[in-house]
Amino acid sequence: MPHLKASYAKYQNDPNVAFLLVSIDEDDKRLQRYLGEMKFPFPVARMNAEKAEKLMGFDNLPATFYVDTHGIVRYYLNGTESHGDSPARVTWYIDQVKQLTR
Amino acid sequence: MRIPLVIPIVAVLAWTSVGIVAQTPAREQLARGEALWQQRLAKSAIVALEAAARDKSTAAAAHEALGRIYTFKGWQADNVFPGWHDEPALRDRALVELRAAVAADPSRASAQDALRTAETFAAADKVDPAPPRPEIRALDAQLQALQTAADASAASVAAAVEARAHAQADPAPFFTGAQILIDRGDYDRAIALAERGAAASDRFIDENLSAYQMSGKSEGARARGHASAADLVGWAQFMKKNYAAAADKLGEAERLTQGQDFVNQYHLGELARAQNAPARARDRYLDALSLAGGPAPLRQKAKEALAALQPGGSDAGGFDAWVEGELARRRDDRKAASLKSLVDKPLPALALTTIDGKPYDRAGLRGKVLLLNFFASW
Repeated sequence: MPHLKASYAKYQNDPNVAFLLVSIDEDDKRLQRYLGEMKFPFPVARMNAEKAEKLMGFDNLPATFYVDTHGIVRYYLNGTESHGDSPARVTWYIDQVKQLTR
Repeated sequence: MRIPLVIPIVAVLAWTSVGIVAQTPAREQLARGEALWQQRLAKSAIVALEAAARDKSTAAAAHEALGRIYTFKGWQADNVFPGWHDEPALRDRALVELRAAVAADPSRASAQDALRTAETFAAADKVDPAPPRPEIRALDAQLQALQTAADASAASVAAAVEARAHAQADPAPFFTGAQILIDRGDYDRAIALAERGAAASDRFIDENLSAYQMSGKSEGARARGHASAADLVGWAQFMKKNYAAAADKLGEAERLTQGQDFVNQYHLGELARAQNAPARARDRYLDALSLAGGPAPLRQKAKEALAALQPGGSDAGGFDAWVEGELARRRDDRKAASLKSLVDKPLPALALTTIDGKPYDRAGLRGKVLLLNFFASW
């Protein structure tokens, strides 16, 4: 998840881009500790694990969705990318989605 | 002359039947359950221990053993094996079992110890995952040592594999042993070991299914086990010059890893080269090099093999630039390939809450490009 923090630095002043993390943790204490350690600069919400998996169709974590300005999902990653997640990849996806809906 | 032959047999029979009388069904289940848990075969261990817990004579010991299993699973399982996670839902069960053990036998010191530990975990903010077990590490080291011991016999390799596999039931020793046997040219034994590894992997995952928490993780682990076995079998067949069988197995490993494993792609490159298909070999080496991972000497070999396939070799003008361009193109293709399911469909309405449980207001997200990331702290 540090790669998300690094990529957010590029977009935090961009009014057309938003980051939202959704935790499917059941263990409150563990989540609180994790958030305390990570200190994410963007919002974090929670959702029931089973509902999230069913509705969004993922079966691995992290599950990342890139949604365009019309609310259409454009890219979906089920689990970590096979070569590891990196800020450069996040930037690539966001810039692709921006171009798709410009 | 007959008498001396008969007497020992009677003696053995008498001894065996005494053994059976002493070992009640409940004691047998207890011993079986404890041994299975030593091997980390959780599901079968729990079944046996639950049976033993129903008998008064073994209730305290069985409840304690169950409590220790659930303590491990509830608090200490994180990445003890790749893909395993804590199961917080089992924490209460750990406490219930350990209290039952103490209730069944208030003088049982080991159960009191285990209960105290679990209660400390329940009160703690953070519990570290269980450390690797020294006895397993020692057996792993014995097996590893045979990798470089040129004079080790096939029997000693087999014995080291069996000893390690008996102590803990994960598939790693079978795969390590198969690789050692391939290096020694003992291909048929290597194939047999690799195939046993695939079966061991399936069982190990099945016995610990809930530890993976998500089906994608357990299915991924299952595929990795079969891919390791298929690649080893394919490589052994390649070394035996059975190219058709090698293509079959290396191809199976490729499907299971979705073409994302360096060693497997390198093996496919070697196969293509042996089959006089230079264009295909070049593609495989490039695929391999565009992936992360793999031991450095093998990466070097892949690069050299690639250069050997180029007219003029690596000294030819622009070779390095050409390789870099090819690798970059492959990485970009992969980035674009991971699309499916919800893609091109509207984002469903999600019942989100804030961290402290209030409804989450999505108004601020409307009309923006959104990165939505589902995660868990485990």
